[in-house]
Amino acid sequence: MEHTAIQFIDLQYGSVLSLLVIGFVGGVVSGFIGSGGAFVLTPAMMSLGVPGVVAVASNMCHKFPKALVGAWKRHQFGQVDIKLGLWMAASAAVGVWIGADIQRGIREAYGEAGSNLYVSTAFVVVLTVVGLFVLLDALRTIRAGGVEQEKASRLARWVQSVEIPGTMIHFKTANTRVSALFTVPLGFATGMLAATIAVGGFIGVPGMIYVLGAPALVASATELVLAFVMGLGGSINYALHGLVDIRLALILLAASLFGVQLGAIGTTYVRPHVIKLVMAAIMLIVAVSRGLMLPVYLTQLGHAGVSEATMSMLSRASMVFLVLALCTGGLIILMAMFKGRGLAAAPGTREETAD
Amino acid sequence: MEKSKPYPQLIATGLLSGALYLLLYLYEREIMQAFTRTDGWYPALPIVTAFAFSMAHGAFTAYFWDVLGVRAKK
Repeated sequence: MEHTAIQFIDLQYGSVLSLLVIGFVGGVVSGFIGSGGAFVLTPAMMSLGVPGVVAVASNMCHKFPKALVGAWKRHQFGQVDIKLGLWMAASAAVGVWIGADIQRGIREAYGEAGSNLYVSTAFVVVLTVVGLFVLLDALRTIRAGGVEQEKASRLARWVQSVEIPGTMIHFKTANTRVSALFTVPLGFATGMLAATIAVGGFIGVPGMIYVLGAPALVASATELVLAFVMGLGGSINYALHGLVDIRLALILLAASLFGVQLGAIGTTYVRPHVIKLVMAAIMLIVAVSRGLMLPVYLTQLGHAGVSEATMSMLSRASMVFLVLALCTGGLIILMAMFKGRGLAAAPGTREETAD
Repeated sequence: MEKSKPYPQLIATGLLSGALYLLLYLYEREIMQAFTRTDGWYPALPIVTAFAFSMAHGAFTAYFWDVLGVRAKK
């Protein structure tokens, strides 16, 4: 049976070009911090006239090959903890499943606007809290001269000290030994967030760093394994319903694979706190973007009285902030990388720049 | 000693990746019809294609940065 209900758009050169640009920057960011890009790509495709479900499906079908290439690259640098990635991915799959169920329930009970309000509130709350936490940590390191050895957080040290017989797992690359009773809920939360706001990495990466005690480099690289597994699972599901626009997925890949390689190479030139800084900057700007949409959804639900003109202005501003988040992340990465390359090339400074 | 640049690999993977994208452009209509079918093994097409592009184009992009001298720090 062919799927006839879904409209696939006619591709124009302008839309292809904008997808290539966003795809490239999204690739750089995800090669560097393990995730990113999805939060801009889906709305960007929708603004080109792609139906929401096709945008999500095509984005997912572009995400798993990108994550695969990124994970492979960073595996060559010895940064990926495959075992941790697979443990997280297995529990994240359950999280995605339940998260999607909750989403469906909310949509049935409160309609599209209610569902949007729930998603945006989750965005704002989670990203503000976690983003501020990560930002403060990165700033502490910068104030200390950016040279301090990466130490496990107090929470991670406690988590590592808890011995629950029969559940302990040693993650070699992440250099941590923790109980599965901690990794499973963390993976679950990552999956829940992925199902809700499409970017599980905003919980997964900080979780691996601050709860499990993995180094930022390993956490961001391992997130790519999770992104691959979840993206592949999601893509198969959407493909079974005939919803993937393969042209969009491959156009995005054309540019994002250049980006993901560059982002992955970039991690070898910078100190770990730069990864945290990029992540925090993106999370906080995205939180502002979604925050701007709250009055719009509240009005649609009849709980606020914002005028049509203001709603359209807020929607536009929200999109601008999304693009700004991605560009800020990309810019910090490229600047840090050029600085790192310059230092590495200068004679006599090689030792000081080694992480 | 400076590592030699992988020009032959860059050209080979570039041609392969370019050929795949050319096929997508030339057979856009047929591809979209087949790739959105939900019967039989048709749903495997987008997945297999995404893997194929990630291999060919992924290798090309890796050689691309390598040739430009953008390499990971040892």
